[in-house]
Amino acid sequence: MIKRIGLAIGLPIVLVAIWWFASAGSKDFYFPPLEKILAVFPDTWFGPRMVDDVLPSLLRLAVGYAAALIVGIGLGMLIGANRTLRAVVEPVLEFLRAIPPPVLVPILMLMAGIGNTMKVLVIISGCLWPILLNTVEGVRAVDEVLTDTCRSYRIRGGLKMWHLMIRSASPQIVAGARQALSIGIILMVISEMFAASSGIGFTVIQFKDGFRIPQMWSGVILLGLLGVLLALLFRLAERAVLGWYHGIRAVQKER
Amino acid sequence: MLTVTELNKTYDTKGRRVEAIGEVSFSVADGEFVCVVGPSGCGKTTLLRCIAGLLAPTSGEVVVEGTKVTGPPDGLAVVFQEYGRSLFPWLRVADNVDLPLRAAGMAKEKRRELVEDALESVGLADARNAYPWQLSGGMQQRVAIARAIAYQPRVLLMDEPFAAVDAQTRADLEDLIRSVWQRLGVTLVFVTHDIDESVYLGQRVIMLSSSPTTVAEDLAIDLPAERDQLSTRSDPRFTELRGQVYAQIQKAKQERP
Repeated sequence: MIKRIGLAIGLPIVLVAIWWFASAGSKDFYFPPLEKILAVFPDTWFGPRMVDDVLPSLLRLAVGYAAALIVGIGLGMLIGANRTLRAVVEPVLEFLRAIPPPVLVPILMLMAGIGNTMKVLVIISGCLWPILLNTVEGVRAVDEVLTDTCRSYRIRGGLKMWHLMIRSASPQIVAGARQALSIGIILMVISEMFAASSGIGFTVIQFKDGFRIPQMWSGVILLGLLGVLLALLFRLAERAVLGWYHGIRAVQKER
Repeated sequence: MLTVTELNKTYDTKGRRVEAIGEVSFSVADGEFVCVVGPSGCGKTTLLRCIAGLLAPTSGEVVVEGTKVTGPPDGLAVVFQEYGRSLFPWLRVADNVDLPLRAAGMAKEKRRELVEDALESVGLADARNAYPWQLSGGMQQRVAIARAIAYQPRVLLMDEPFAAVDAQTRADLEDLIRSVWQRLGVTLVFVTHDIDESVYLGQRVIMLSSSPTTVAEDLAIDLPAERDQLSTRSDPRFTELRGQVYAQIQKAKQERP
C-alpha cells in the first residue's frame, strides 16, 4: 500500500521540483517562479473567491453532470431496449456526439441567456453523449440467459429495470460517466470564459486581462487539483457500484 | 399435467428453412420425473424453451395444468445450464434466491423463511452472504436450484443443469435433485445428453431423434424409488435400461441425413 502511494506521488513530486528549480529567479513576466505562484495561491482562492467563484463553478458542474447522468441513463435504457428506436436514432446520435460542445456556447447563449442555465446546458451537452451511448451499448449487451431468467421468474417492472438493465449495464455506464466527468470539467471552465460574472474560468480570464500572471497560474493549478480530487471521488464511487465486477475479474485472473 | 402436442419449430433464415423440431408429442403426469435425452444438436434446448414459454413454437401447443402456454406460465421454474450467467452477480446468494419472491410481492417474513429453507435444503446455508462468483461451479448451480425451490413451482424444468460441473459434484447434485423432487412432489422435466444420468434420475426417459426431432422412444424406468449412486448403478436392470437407451440414441445418430 505504502509502496503504491509512493509510486503514485513520486513523479508529481519530481515534476513540481523541476518546475520549482527551473523557474526559480525567472525574470520572464509570463512565466513567474513557482514560489511566487504558490505564495499568492492561498490569498487568491481561500478568501471570498471560494464562495463567489469556486463553489458556483462546482455547483454548475454538479447540476449539469447529474442531469446528464439521469437523462443519459434514462434515454439509453429506452433506446438500448428497443431495436427499432435504436435504428432510427443511432445515426442522429453519432452526428450530435460529433459536434464539439464549445461551439454550442454562442447558440445556447442566444437561447438561454448568459446565466447559470446556459452554463449548465453547455455541461449537459457535452457530458450526455458518452453516458448515453455507453448505456445503449450496455443495455443492448445484456446476457440472454439472464433475460430468460427474468422472464421465467416473472421479474418485471422496477426490479427488472434495476437488476436486468441498469446493473447489467453498469460497467459500461461507469466507463461513460468517467469520460463525461473530464469533459464536464473542461466545459465548466469554457462556459465561464464567455459572458460570465463568476466562476474559476471567469476569474482566470480576469487575471489574464489584468496582467496578474501569478494569480492566473494559480487558477490553472487549482483546476488541476480539482480534477485530481474529482477523479479520486469518482474512483470511490466506482468501487462501491462495481465491487462485484472487479471481484469477478479478480477471480477470473486467479483461475 | 403437462402436455406437448405435435410441437414443431422451424427457423426461417434468409430463405433457408431449418426444421429444428419436427413433431414432438408427449405428456407428463403431475409429480412425475421425466428425463428427455437425445443426441447433441437434436433441439433439446429448443424444446425446453418452448415448454417454458420462452420461445413460441411454429405449430402445435404446450399445455401446462390446463392452460395453453403463450408466455412463461405461472408456477413453472427453470434451472438453466449456464448457472454462471443465470445468477445475478451483484446480488448475494440469499438475495438471488429472494429476487423472484420479491417480484411476486410476497411478505418479507414469508420470503425470509422460504429463502432460508431453500438454502438449507441445498446445503448452502453458510454461503448466504457470499456472491455467486465466489463459489465453485457446483455451488453456483446449487444456488440456482435453491432459487427454483424457494419459488415453489408446480413444474420444474432443468436444461442440462450438470453438464458443466465435474463428475463427483455431478453425482452429489443428482442425488440432491432426486431428494428435492421426492420432498416437493413437483413435476420435473430434466433435459440431458447423458444417458446414465437420464436412467439414474428419471421415472421415464423420453428419447429424441436427431433433428428434425421426433420422439424415438418413451421408456419407463422400473428401478426402485430409492436410488443410490453405488447400488443403483450396479443393478443389472440399470445396465439393461442404459443399454436400451444407448442403442436408441446410436440409432438416432445414424439416421441423421
